[in-house]
Amino acid sequence: MTANCPECEAEITLAKPIRGEIVVCPDCGVELEVTSESPLAFDLAPEEEEDWGE
Amino acid sequence: MNHIDLLHGLVKIYSPSTQERAVSDYLVAQMRALGFRAFVDDVGNAVGILGDGARDVVLLGHIDTFHGFIEPRIADGKLYGRGSVDAKGCLATFVSACARVGARDGVRFVVIGAVEEECATSKGARFAITQYRPDFCIIGEPSGWDRITLGYKGRVLVDYEIAQAMTHTASATRPPAEEAIAFWNRLTAFAAEYNRDKPRVFDQLDPSLRAINTNDDGFTDRVAMRIGVRVPMGLTIAQVENDIAQFADGARVEFSSEEEPFRAEKNNALVRAFLSAIRGAGGSPAFTVKTGTADMNIAGPAWQCPIVAYGPGDSALDHTPNEHLDLAEYARAIDVLARVLAVL
Repeated sequence: MTANCPECEAEITLAKPIRGEIVVCPDCGVELEVTSESPLAFDLAPEEEEDWGE
Repeated sequence: MNHIDLLHGLVKIYSPSTQERAVSDYLVAQMRALGFRAFVDDVGNAVGILGDGARDVVLLGHIDTFHGFIEPRIADGKLYGRGSVDAKGCLATFVSACARVGARDGVRFVVIGAVEEECATSKGARFAITQYRPDFCIIGEPSGWDRITLGYKGRVLVDYEIAQAMTHTASATRPPAEEAIAFWNRLTAFAAEYNRDKPRVFDQLDPSLRAINTNDDGFTDRVAMRIGVRVPMGLTIAQVENDIAQFADGARVEFSSEEEPFRAEKNNALVRAFLSAIRGAGGSPAFTVKTGTADMNIAGPAWQCPIVAYGPGDSALDHTPNEHLDLAEYARAIDVLARVLAVL
């Protein structure tokens, strides 16, 4: 199944997508989250923050 | 007992590291009342097991707190008190979410309130890793109800000491205090070089000077210095210790409280369950990495299973006199975690 990267519109094909799976766009390198398996759809993956904490 | 009473009861019992027995007994009693098989284990951890099956989900929180009692009170929808955020709120979230989901076929929920997380021994977690081999692990530390913590930096403590025969202050000999400062300057310069082009604190080597003491007995001049070094992913504790030892220049340097940095994977069923649960509860999930250490540094490498840290609260309030937990956020975190536990 194929869908476009929401960042750079590159075509990305996944054989067995899993909802919630994190993939990296091979063209622009942004992290994407699979938001739908059929039809395949991506959204930008949650951002990674950093903070103090133990 | 509702979830607020449970947390209030935990916070009322002051439990700094090594003084956890009373609160462990209290938590065990509460978990038994909720249907857990609960006990205090050989090192003092409060353990509650719900369900039976081949798949273990370990929820590893800690029951000790930073020192300094804060009189517990509820005001304006917030529960104030030592440990409300770090991390009895997380532990109460674990117990409440497991109780809400109840026993599931084929799954065993193991809630652990570990002792001595707030001191360098991590005694409770070190014992727990010898007792269980979970399929999934959730560490109880405040991430905020809509965030998932994926990693913690490592840490090593450095004790530097040098002594030399006293000389007159007018002599050309450099006194030990200056030797110590020169060592500190070499270490910070090394870290600054390593940190070049690393804007995120999580990626930086971060030394901090904790204490410096000088003394003399009229014959020998001494200086002792303690430095904490936060170690990023990409470096090992052994590498950092080797580098630091080269700056010693004849002084005695000892290392302790070593914790390797750890970062969990994102692509697994545990993370996917959290992303879905946070969205299901109306949130927009985010990942976070922490610049401190936690029991994830111990459990992650030992168990090699999908692992995250999760719990309600703002970790900026950890160890502060104003420590408090928003009770609405606490309820949302229980909701999220129950959704996660229902599908693992």
